[in-house]
Amino acid sequence: MAKIEFRNVVKRFGAVEVIPDMNLVIEDGEFVALLGPSGCGKSTSLFMLAGIYLPSGGELLFDGHVVNEVEARDRNVGIVFQSYALYPHMSVRDNILFPLRFKKTPRDEALTRVKAAANLVRVEELLDRRPSELSGGQQQRVALARALVKEPQLLLLDEPLSNLDASLRLSMRTEIKSLHAQLGVTTVLVTHDQIEATTMADRIICMRAGQIEQVGTPDDLYLKPSSLFVAGFIGSPPINLVAGKAEGGTITVDGVRFPVEGASGSVTVGLRPEHLRFGNTGFAGRIAQIEPMGREILYVVETGMGALRVLEQGSSAGHSTGEEVRIGFQPENSLVFETAQQKLVAGAHVRAPI
Amino acid sequence: MVARTTVDWDALATRARVARRSRAVVLYAFLIAVSLPIILPYFWLVTIAFSARTGVADTAVLWRSMAVVIPTVVALWLAAALAQSRRQLWMGLTAVAAIAAVAFALLVGPDLHLGNFIFLWEPDFASVVRSRIGEVKGAVQFPNVWHAFGNSILIAGAQTTIVVTVASLAAYYLSRFQFPGRSSMLRSLLVLHAFPVLTLIVPMFLMLYWIGLLDTLSGVIIVLVAFELPFAIFIMKGFFDAVPWDIEMSALTDGASRRQAFVSVVLPQVRNGILAIAVFTFIRGWEEYIFVFTFLIRNSNWTMSLYMYWVRDDVMGVDYGVVSAVGVFYLVPSLILYMGAQRYLMQMSIGGVKG
Repeated sequence: MAKIEFRNVVKRFGAVEVIPDMNLVIEDGEFVALLGPSGCGKSTSLFMLAGIYLPSGGELLFDGHVVNEVEARDRNVGIVFQSYALYPHMSVRDNILFPLRFKKTPRDEALTRVKAAANLVRVEELLDRRPSELSGGQQQRVALARALVKEPQLLLLDEPLSNLDASLRLSMRTEIKSLHAQLGVTTVLVTHDQIEATTMADRIICMRAGQIEQVGTPDDLYLKPSSLFVAGFIGSPPINLVAGKAEGGTITVDGVRFPVEGASGSVTVGLRPEHLRFGNTGFAGRIAQIEPMGREILYVVETGMGALRVLEQGSSAGHSTGEEVRIGFQPENSLVFETAQQKLVAGAHVRAPI
Repeated sequence: MVARTTVDWDALATRARVARRSRAVVLYAFLIAVSLPIILPYFWLVTIAFSARTGVADTAVLWRSMAVVIPTVVALWLAAALAQSRRQLWMGLTAVAAIAAVAFALLVGPDLHLGNFIFLWEPDFASVVRSRIGEVKGAVQFPNVWHAFGNSILIAGAQTTIVVTVASLAAYYLSRFQFPGRSSMLRSLLVLHAFPVLTLIVPMFLMLYWIGLLDTLSGVIIVLVAFELPFAIFIMKGFFDAVPWDIEMSALTDGASRRQAFVSVVLPQVRNGILAIAVFTFIRGWEEYIFVFTFLIRNSNWTMSLYMYWVRDDVMGVDYGVVSAVGVFYLVPSLILYMGAQRYLMQMSIGGVKG
């Protein structure tokens, strides 16, 4: 178990600066997710933690010790790759045994630990098979067992679920989370899938272009996104963002006027589809499209501000295409951002026009 | 709207079936016709090696053996084409093979003997053979054939070992590391292979003479290694490129050093590539003729190809049976190697080479 710290870490590949200046503390035993679109530097950060990439500047600390130059093999880090990276020419047993080979663990003890690790992820029946004879989910478990068998101080998961089918992804999510609870190993998950991040991690580090946009619990990121980017990245279906101008207590967006508190100038209003309600008051629109999603129904509504998404609970549509509707919302659910800085205006809310 | 015409599906199916059959017949007939000129020389070589007698220029046995072989090939093909099931196929093939064996035993059998392989146990076979027709003088002093065989094995084996080792290390480095001049090096690897190596034979001779490796096996080995390496590196690079980075990184985090990761994780993934270049390099070394002919002089340094050359030079007019027998002896190792490694060689041309 270890506490991880990035202090002004910089990573350059040739002339390209992938991570300009990263500062982050991951507490001992914490489960954090590095979340961001591809190319945001999250995998680079992960490989720096693993010791595969060396930081170009700054300090990387494990438990208060600088590990910048410690080699990958000496860091005692377990890693599960997106492709699982099992060794194709070895049996499952030898795959899980592999990390112990270099630790000079006595054979009997090593085999006991392999058994225990295999039991933990329930692959004990597969020990004699080759990776090519396993399904994706089984390979995933073996990769986990291999990462865990050396009792790592840090577990790194690189997009571990993205190659699994939907139902398997759901059960692996639960399993990884309960493994973490059971073992208490500091875990870093890298993903571009916000659902994976919000469901599994205690804390999410949302990254964009090598910069950390926001660090917080899943709730923080959902309720109080610090920037337009985070607001747009978290939440599915995505948030509605409309740009307007705030003057004298009113934001005007394409002719629709929202009463506002605590904001002025060019602003962007963020309204999550699940917070919008059809009712007798609010701004007017016409339903353009209906997308049933099982428990919920997503309406695409044409309004004076363009097409907005409205999510309604329930499995049968209460409205039909072409219907004229009015849309309202609770003021505390609304978000206001400065358009130029793209930052959240703290405490600012809009009310629905009557 | 086009008027609906009645379609005779059965007639269409029959027509397609007939067309498919006739195409297959024509194709096989063509393949048999073009493969005969390739098969026949080898077949004759073997037949002559086991049947020819000193001083007798008799081709009747060749024609008799052909009278067995050609009908056999055609019959095998017919059996394969007409068989309706796997069982019929096997029965057909076995019947044809049995009849062919009997016919061969009757027509060719009485002429077969092992006398032409005299060189295997009699180093001075040239004198023996010549004495049979009463001409003893002027025979070449041949070394023991096993000595030449050993030299060939040594050249081909050492060349293979060096090429495989150097090519795997160099190709791994070229595939995984970025360094100045990498792309021009890759380009030059191919360009090197494009030059006819024979053009370098005079400078090579001079260089070997000056460094004192002329007429030594190691000199020839060095030259052959140098000429074989570029292509082997290029092939191996393709194989290394196909090994995913992930498993190597995984090995590093699992506690392996770069070298341990290379040996225990990366090398096993390119096993087929190594086998392929090993077989090709060995066979290249085994059949090498021009360089050994130029750079090796003493008869204790002779390889099998030189031995073959001198046998042909010395006793061809007297006993072409012995020449053929040496040919068969020379052929066997490459044949065994090719058959054993065929599977891997196929993979090289299909899966391995990717720029």
